[in-house]
Amino acid sequence: MAAVLDKTRPAAAREPMAVAKRLYGVMQAPVTPLNDDFSVDYDRFAKMVDFHVRNGAPAIAWPHHKAESPNLTMDERKRGAEVMVKTVGGRVPVSVFVGSLSEEDSLDLARHAQKIGADMILTISPYCRRPSQNEIFKSIVRIGTHTDLPVLTYNSPWRNGEGVEFTSELVERLIERLPNYIGMKDAGFHSEKFLDISRIALTMRPEFVIIMGLEHLLGSFPLGAKGSFSSCGAIAPNLCNRFYASLVANDWETARQCQYRITRLYKLFKDQYPSSLKGAMISMGRDAGPIRSPLPTASPERVAFLCKQLEELGVMDTEPHGW
Amino acid sequence: MTTFNPGFVHCPVTPFKADNSVDYELYGKILDFHLNNGADALALPMPQAEDISLTDGEQRELLRFAIRHVNGRVPVIAHVSDPGTMIAVERAKHAAELGAAAIASRPPYFWHPKPAMVAEHLVAIGSATKLPFFICTPPVEDPGTHMTAEDVLDVVKRLDNVVGLVDASMRFVFMAEVASKGPELRPDFRLMAGTDYIVSNNVLGGRGAFSQLASVAPMLARELYELCSKQQFTQARKAQEQIATLNHTLKQAGFAGLKGAMRAMGRDVGVPRPPVDALGEVEAGVLGERMAAMTFLEREPRGW
Repeated sequence: MAAVLDKTRPAAAREPMAVAKRLYGVMQAPVTPLNDDFSVDYDRFAKMVDFHVRNGAPAIAWPHHKAESPNLTMDERKRGAEVMVKTVGGRVPVSVFVGSLSEEDSLDLARHAQKIGADMILTISPYCRRPSQNEIFKSIVRIGTHTDLPVLTYNSPWRNGEGVEFTSELVERLIERLPNYIGMKDAGFHSEKFLDISRIALTMRPEFVIIMGLEHLLGSFPLGAKGSFSSCGAIAPNLCNRFYASLVANDWETARQCQYRITRLYKLFKDQYPSSLKGAMISMGRDAGPIRSPLPTASPERVAFLCKQLEELGVMDTEPHGW
Repeated sequence: MTTFNPGFVHCPVTPFKADNSVDYELYGKILDFHLNNGADALALPMPQAEDISLTDGEQRELLRFAIRHVNGRVPVIAHVSDPGTMIAVERAKHAAELGAAAIASRPPYFWHPKPAMVAEHLVAIGSATKLPFFICTPPVEDPGTHMTAEDVLDVVKRLDNVVGLVDASMRFVFMAEVASKGPELRPDFRLMAGTDYIVSNNVLGGRGAFSQLASVAPMLARELYELCSKQQFTQARKAQEQIATLNHTLKQAGFAGLKGAMRAMGRDVGVPRPPVDALGEVEAGVLGERMAAMTFLEREPRGW
């Protein structure tokens, strides 16, 4: 497949730090629409991606966990990435998540992302092994030196051991080693750890961009976070855009009210994430289909409950319906 | 409804003599230092004051001494946490009799009771007196039962005198949930920073802070508090990063780092009580060198 960006953008636009400078705001990470037989609906996926771009997404990233990435085959992930790059068509930067259980798969996905003209990859050391900091370092270096694309890492320090934590010392080593290491998706959501990383990273590489894992952005934005990957943009893109505008304007009262609403929305979606998110999308006229096993598809009762909650939160009257 | 606005709360350390007994003469100097360097209130003995290394009798005596020494110049908040509910309840009653301005307690350490029992524990302590009551989260992750926002709100619903949550978890989502829902139950309920990482806490809706690093850098800590109080969070970033630099350095030295840093600032408060190790000569030297490189400490008071 031809590299889309090779045709649409000058090489300088793909230089790692130039890409980093284009990452800000509440970036959208689309879900993966499925047909009733659980196959990927690529046409609807293209509509999903286009919906986000038309509704103000400053970047598109796929397939994050809300896109059911661990439940997709490598072929599906590659085809979906191709659809994303083609649909976005250079309007905003595109990130391909290459994290997987197998590092070999990550390397394969990284090669593919570069070939199709993605702007960057997001990666993590393979899950579920409780890796040491040195094992994470070596894994990220293998992936980061395997591609010319700018690299974001995913800091996901889950408590139960499936996650992978990037300490400030590890980030320091990776910045020293990888010239294409441009930033981090941070799902730590912790003041002290955020500052430990940001102080070192931004001193060593001022363009380094820290993007919060979800819209829990308010606590870190005054301290240097540049944006977030969205959990609820498929439901409430206007709220996402208003939130970021209030942060840029230092309108903390508005930002606080937006953050509180987003936190409540995320709490709704957190139940069997992304099952409830897809369930809520039905009420917004954007049915993205079922969820692959072992996660459950939202029941009609759950969909009705979510619809009522969206009404109470004022989402139904203030956000776009349909595609 | 009970209201209480303590502002910027300093958390003094507890000094020990060579025989490991509490050094009350030195403690008086420490309290005066805080009163002369920006404390709106004092909270004691908080975790960095080695509360769990003190006997029940020592905690009571420490509070009695502090309230008498402060003599009404600022409010004194009594921290009464204990794994045993009855012990903490009796300590809270004693604090009220002494004239404490408020009570603070975290969930019980060591045990892992169900959330309902954690709520019972805190309700028992909070209802032991009519004083304003602060719920505290632990300064380290999960030493006992993990507290959720729902757990906190459950206690707020049940106690009229809960005035706030002092957060040391530093978790963004938890803070946002408590800050948004607490005031819905009680308009004067406040989230407060339980560490010197004030920006994230206050931008999420918190007000005020309990400071440990005011023992080392009271001017910087106060500046950070003031900027956050004025909602100048972007302007507060520099001070917050300096505080983080200091905290990171102290943390590398272990629990003894705080007292080691105070010594480096010309305020020798001795060493921690066993089982916490004192800093060795090499570690103390490294800490001193790192602090000497922090030019932002040059404006801070040296000595008493």
